Amino acid sequence: MSKTFGTHRAVRALSLEVPRGAVFGLLGPNGAGKTTTLRMVMNVLGPDSGAIEILGRPSDQGGRDRVGYMPEERGLYPRMAVEEQLVYLAELKGTPRAEAQRRVGPWLERLGLSDWRQRKLNELSKGMQQKAQFIATVLHEPDVLILDEPMSGLDPVGADLMRDILLDLSRQGRTLVLSSHQMETVERLCDAIALIDRGQKLLDGTVAEVKRRYGKNTVVLAYEGDGSFLTKVAGVERLSDFGQYVEVRLTADADPQVLLREAVARLRVSRFEIVEPSLRDIFVAQVTGHGQEAA
Amino acid sequence: MNGTHLRRLLRVARREYLERVRSKAFMVATVLGPLILGGMMIVPALAARKAAAPLRVSVLDADGMLLGPVERALGSLTEGGTPRFLLRPAPQAPFEQARHELREQVLRGDLDGFLYLPPGALAASQAEFHGRSVSAMMEMRLLERALAEAFMRVRLTREGLDPARLGALMRDVDVRTMRLSTEGAREDHGAGFLFSTVLLFAIYTSVFMWGQALMNSVIEEKANRVVEVMVSSVSPETLLGGKLLGVGAAGLTQLMAWAATVGLVGLYVGGSAVAGGARVPEVGGFVLVAFVAFFLLGFFLYGSFYAAVGAAVNSMQEAQNLILPLMLPVIMAMMFFPVVLRSPDSTLSVVLSLIPLMAPLIMFLRISVLMPPLWQVALSIALTLLAIAGVVWTAARIYRVGILMYGKRPTFPEIVRWVRQS
Repeated sequence: MSKTFGTHRAVRALSLEVPRGAVFGLLGPNGAGKTTTLRMVMNVLGPDSGAIEILGRPSDQGGRDRVGYMPEERGLYPRMAVEEQLVYLAELKGTPRAEAQRRVGPWLERLGLSDWRQRKLNELSKGMQQKAQFIATVLHEPDVLILDEPMSGLDPVGADLMRDILLDLSRQGRTLVLSSHQMETVERLCDAIALIDRGQKLLDGTVAEVKRRYGKNTVVLAYEGDGSFLTKVAGVERLSDFGQYVEVRLTADADPQVLLREAVARLRVSRFEIVEPSLRDIFVAQVTGHGQEAA
Repeated sequence: MNGTHLRRLLRVARREYLERVRSKAFMVATVLGPLILGGMMIVPALAARKAAAPLRVSVLDADGMLLGPVERALGSLTEGGTPRFLLRPAPQAPFEQARHELREQVLRGDLDGFLYLPPGALAASQAEFHGRSVSAMMEMRLLERALAEAFMRVRLTREGLDPARLGALMRDVDVRTMRLSTEGAREDHGAGFLFSTVLLFAIYTSVFMWGQALMNSVIEEKANRVVEVMVSSVSPETLLGGKLLGVGAAGLTQLMAWAATVGLVGLYVGGSAVAGGARVPEVGGFVLVAFVAFFLLGFFLYGSFYAAVGAAVNSMQEAQNLILPLMLPVIMAMMFFPVVLRSPDSTLSVVLSLIPLMAPLIMFLRISVLMPPLWQVALSIALTLLAIAGVVWTAARIYRVGILMYGKRPTFPEIVRWVRQS
């Protein structure tokens, strides 16, 4: 599908397939078209061309009712009581009122909002509002969850809680689509990903597949001393400095042992490990490469 | 629209309605509105009663032959059973001295004024009233009438007419205004006129107050970003429809509360002097039905416009420029309102009452003043409904695009493009 705003082509002939029951990560840098894509899935925006299917049916009202959508721009009614609001939003998704009222209690309990159920939303902290927004997304027990940047705005405790809940929902057989530019989150949760940039798909597949395709010639190196010479070592394609350690990507034909010898000769090496590339590394490499092609 | 959409539209309407009627602003306006309106009706009534305290006057007649008839004429003027003038005898003293003494009494406040009939008053048809306050128009006109009558009596008696027959000959003509309707003629005390105007302004202010409320709610939904959650659940058309219905119902609730309170106050004050002697106006049931119907027509018509404007802008300030053109037909309608009030059957009135943007005001005014032919009412409603359908359709398109547009306020051509594209 495609979408153009004025002269800006936000999404260009993008084709995505999310396997049923998967935890799917939609990755991309800011402005890649992630939010626009999800909005088209939810019919918030109409695509200029292309078609959308949800659970094997054309995306119509009935199909969208089986989806829970948490937009990137969070928003609820500020002057409406939390519980009343959640029940209302579930009703708009087709859940009978009594059913929604029964379900809301356990969810509020689980996310620690029980004491706030009668309060107006704007009396809640940002983090609590975020949790309320999440309940609004799941209260109608959707088969598919689309969460735009689900972890943003959560503290580490909240993020862990969110991750547990997401894994739970996944185990119940629900399909999860997470959009993010936070690779660590996605790497730990997702089975499959798609990486998009400037409205186009750069790669997709299961996380294992993507990493395999990218090759097993990445080295994690931790050391003491001045490692600035490492980029000039033969066979080093790129180096990402994480502070405590560096991740070094080698060219396909390079021998990691060369790098090790050079490093030991000039640094105190505390860790040397040949690893699968992190999604972050793949992300950066792909997006940078794509940017250069486009430029 | 299938059952699912309708059910959700009603859900949205219910929320919008409850949010409004539960708000403090609504409670305050609903309670204060009738107090202010009631005040507007009761205060003049009380003021009129207070003013009804009779004026203490003396008559000083230089020639002496007018004194009797003038005093009798003044004494016979009553209002609600109480005399309007209390006559005090002038001091028994030489003429100039008596005049001086009367002036002193007026200045001391013992007397409200005195009537001075100079020599040759009858021939010259002249008299003077000396008082501290000569601005009470009502009293002056009564005084003039009484004097004219007294002078006439004296002249006619001099012409040889039997004083006993004069009473019958000079009887006042009692002109009563009759309101004609198919149910038969009824006496109208002029309050009907006033009441039509009050109802017209009630529709006018309510339509715009609630249209504005609807616009604010659209802008707020946009600003809170809750609108994206909403349109992922219901179509923008359903959301717009629900908001129109819910806010409209809240407006109607307030009008009903006002009507009930004003009605009760009216009953309490009773048939006595409401708004300066006028009775509580008789308002036909049809006028009340028309009042509700034309409020709703006006609200749906202008409310849709307001909602579209709200969707196109980011803040209230930005909305002002776009609202102004909307107000023009209404301002025109309000300019024409006295003309329509005077001649509700004229061609101009008929044409104005058929133009959808003015119909909710002008047709209602015509109905409340003089029931127009039924076909005109039906045509006016039909045309307005047609216009509402068109406006809602257009507004829904602007709404659909606008609610997700943040940033720069769109220009008018851009809005036109939205309508064509979506």
